[in-house]
Amino acid sequence: MPGPKIGRRGALAAGLALPFIRPAIAQTAEPYVMGSLFPMSGPSAEFGEAFTRGAQVALQHIAADNLLRRPVRLQSEDSQALPQPSVVGMNKLISVDRAHWVLVSWTATSKAVAPIGDRAKTIMVNGGAVGPDLAGLSPYFWNVIALAHLEVQVMVPFLVRQRNARRVALIYVDDPLGDGILGQLRGTLPRHGGELVGSFSVPRAAQQFGPVVARVRQTRPDAVYVASFGAQNAQIVKALRDNGVTQTICSYSAFGIDSLRTMPEAEGALFTSQKLDLTGAHALTSRFATDFRARFGQPPLVYHANYYNAAYLFGLLAKQVETAGGTVNGDSLRAAMLATRKFDLVGGEGEFDEQGNMLTQMQVNEIRGQQFVAIG
Amino acid sequence: MTAFLLNLATLAAISGILASTLNFIVGYAGIFSVAHAVFFGLGAYGGAQVALLLVPDPFLACFVAALIAGGLSLCLALPALRVRGEYFVAASLGLQMVAATLFAELKPLTGGIGGLVGIPRPEIFGTVVPVLPLALAALALILFLTARLQRGAFGRTLQSIRDADSAAEALGKNVNAAKTLAVAFACAGAGVAGALYALHLSFINVESFTLDQSIQIMAMVIIGGTGTLWGPLVGAIMLLSLPAVLSFIPFIPPTEVGAVQQIIYGLAMTLLMIFRPAGLVGDQTKGRSTS
Repeated sequence: MPGPKIGRRGALAAGLALPFIRPAIAQTAEPYVMGSLFPMSGPSAEFGEAFTRGAQVALQHIAADNLLRRPVRLQSEDSQALPQPSVVGMNKLISVDRAHWVLVSWTATSKAVAPIGDRAKTIMVNGGAVGPDLAGLSPYFWNVIALAHLEVQVMVPFLVRQRNARRVALIYVDDPLGDGILGQLRGTLPRHGGELVGSFSVPRAAQQFGPVVARVRQTRPDAVYVASFGAQNAQIVKALRDNGVTQTICSYSAFGIDSLRTMPEAEGALFTSQKLDLTGAHALTSRFATDFRARFGQPPLVYHANYYNAAYLFGLLAKQVETAGGTVNGDSLRAAMLATRKFDLVGGEGEFDEQGNMLTQMQVNEIRGQQFVAIG
Repeated sequence: MTAFLLNLATLAAISGILASTLNFIVGYAGIFSVAHAVFFGLGAYGGAQVALLLVPDPFLACFVAALIAGGLSLCLALPALRVRGEYFVAASLGLQMVAATLFAELKPLTGGIGGLVGIPRPEIFGTVVPVLPLALAALALILFLTARLQRGAFGRTLQSIRDADSAAEALGKNVNAAKTLAVAFACAGAGVAGALYALHLSFINVESFTLDQSIQIMAMVIIGGTGTLWGPLVGAIMLLSLPAVLSFIPFIPPTEVGAVQQIIYGLAMTLLMIFRPAGLVGDQTKGRSTS
């Protein structure tokens, strides 16, 4: 007797039904949904993976501590670091997954989704993009990373006093991030006895930097500040070293990724980041470092910590709302944040301003022996 | 779910306008442009500036966008008159690169890479309206005009130019005028799509108007079926909705979600072209290898 046959149309129908299986299961547990909107494919996927890992450890801790009455589910969407896929993903997170909290990154992505989150009153937390124009995008858009212009204020005094590097040349990507850092260097260097001896903009898509490096050499700098992001940072560092620039290379927190840590040409490079002393006595930081190592077999980096904080903050705020008997939504979470302001997070205490920007202690790191070493 | 589907429908309608207008020059006139995103961008910046500086009237924004994109379509029409085939592809590629750089550099007009933020939502008589009905109306109008033009003398002239422009010229057709008009119509349509896109997203920057976007629009036309009325629209819906559908697959680990989706997406496109070489709506007797 012939068995049941599944024809092509049957297989197609089954395939079309697949998307609806998960919501049916999800409804029984009713978890809080934390969305993430990171580049998970393409040249920036390395960042998306790092961001996600940080959030995963935070959710592990929230669950282990029974911090909330309901579980938290992480729903990832691929932003491709582009505006249109980000908008599609954000709309899905809000209207299909009913996300209570969305982790975002990348400046263009953040700007594209901010109006959607604002209209839906959904909290969006950025822990990766550092463009100065991200401050104040919406009352529901917060930053748990120091925006780039604040990082310059830490690096400049260190360069001048600790490294006696007074002549600084800047290679910067031609966008709000680069413009912001250029403006800060112009203002901050003279105040500390330094001088911006040259500034060279590079297009966002540029991959060849030989001519720019030649012009940098002509300025005879003591240090070269690199203000780009993604794979371009590594390409600029390699071009500088390949073309005989031996002076100190410095940058902001975008240097805190594995591809630069393990790159021989980046040895000795300095960069600023939020304070992260993994060997110190701070309990949450130690716990984060231990559990991150156990889960992923590597020590955590600054981006991992930022998105841990971005995700863990949801646990802290939602707990406050639950304890007060309220409903967890954008307004109640924002009210809880404004009422508390200071939170114990990885790296130490973080304090939020009225706009939702977190102010925290900063440190200067050096890439030394393929490790990030805090030196100031 | 409703908002998600409405957003997808809006983007599909805007992409449908882009694909249909590109199809007008690729499918009917044989002008293979990889610079359609340039005119999409011109319309988006034009429409956004109208909304930001004057009034968020969608009709005015679309009119200005069509005027700017249609007017500057001469940048594309001029090389189209002088070269054809793969040489024109190279010329349009150059135009695309120049335009993307200008979009990134003309900061007072485009906001540079940071883009234009806070573009107000469209209003008609002081009431905020969704972009979807406007986009559907614009799409319907463009499809109607395309069908009318295609069936008329102008459409036959374009098709004769596509098949053999020397022969068309020998028969007394004004090849230059026909090409210029076709390009102006297609680019003005792309401009309208750009204005609607800017009003819908409330944010635009150069990343939406790069070569990748031009190739994506070309893929919509080819996958749907070049030289057909409905093919580009089907291709646009397909290319836009497939990633959205894939995002519902529940068992992908969060860190692998992008890679798995891109692999499935790429495989689906490849298989589609193997089994439907003339596109989803195209004549299947065309497009297959004869060797």
